Amino acid sequence: MSSNNTSDENDVRAATALFQAEFPYERDQEAQVTRREFCNFLGLTSAALFVGAAGFAGKAALDARESEALAPAAIQGAEALAPNTSLNFNYPTERDSAILIRTADGAYHAYGQKCTHLSCPVYYSRNSQRLECPCHEGAFNVATGEVLFGPPPRPLDRIEVEMRDGQVWATGRNPSTREEEGRG
Amino acid sequence: MKTVTQHSVPDRRAKLGDAALWQARLIMLVMINIAQLWILAATVDAALARHYSVLLPLVIASGICFLITLSIIKWWRPTSRKKTSTGYVREDR
Repeated sequence: MSSNNTSDENDVRAATALFQAEFPYERDQEAQVTRREFCNFLGLTSAALFVGAAGFAGKAALDARESEALAPAAIQGAEALAPNTSLNFNYPTERDSAILIRTADGAYHAYGQKCTHLSCPVYYSRNSQRLECPCHEGAFNVATGEVLFGPPPRPLDRIEVEMRDGQVWATGRNPSTREEEGRG
Repeated sequence: MKTVTQHSVPDRRAKLGDAALWQARLIMLVMINIAQLWILAATVDAALARHYSVLLPLVIASGICFLITLSIIKWWRPTSRKKTSTGYVREDR
């Protein structure tokens, strides 16, 4: 170790010389973590991991019990959507992004935009005509929302759409579950 | 009356034993933390997959890990320890 002290450090040492004589300790020792402190840190980490797991599970369980009736909403600009293109919108709330796809045959399909793997936003790939997740290369069938390949464990949440007076309306949301499919 | 030399050998052994115990304690705590990290990842995965039936067992498993951690930190003591909880050395009788 070099003894290349800066002037500031020398000043501090000079100022604290009296205390150094009575309570001698080195600065290196101050930064040292004792085994007991490290053990306590691991204990806190364990508590945090437990609270995290419980919180996540609790939130998921609460979300599963919510069965609110969703109000229908018109999807602005959907009627002008060209075949084989997609449009992003928000449904059922402003915080829930969704994607509307008009397939080449003119049919409309809408899904929640969160990938069922780790919630990355999916996008419509016009070349392959499927919904793809860029994060972990998952893909979904555009007509059914089923998983084509990749890590997603369940289909996308389907949003019901219907035509009303020449406008496309989102009328409800069907969250898919793994149990429904009998997978896993 | 014990001599200094007679005293120092068991004292050194006790220190070595104490160090080994701390080592074992730390290794176990780290292993449990890793297991809990895996459990948290599995919980997130199951929640996103809406695989609700496994959520409760995962949370219980994480809770058990936490209790084991707590017991290791708070209650694990060497059986041959001479020091009391206040730091005084018990006298041999």
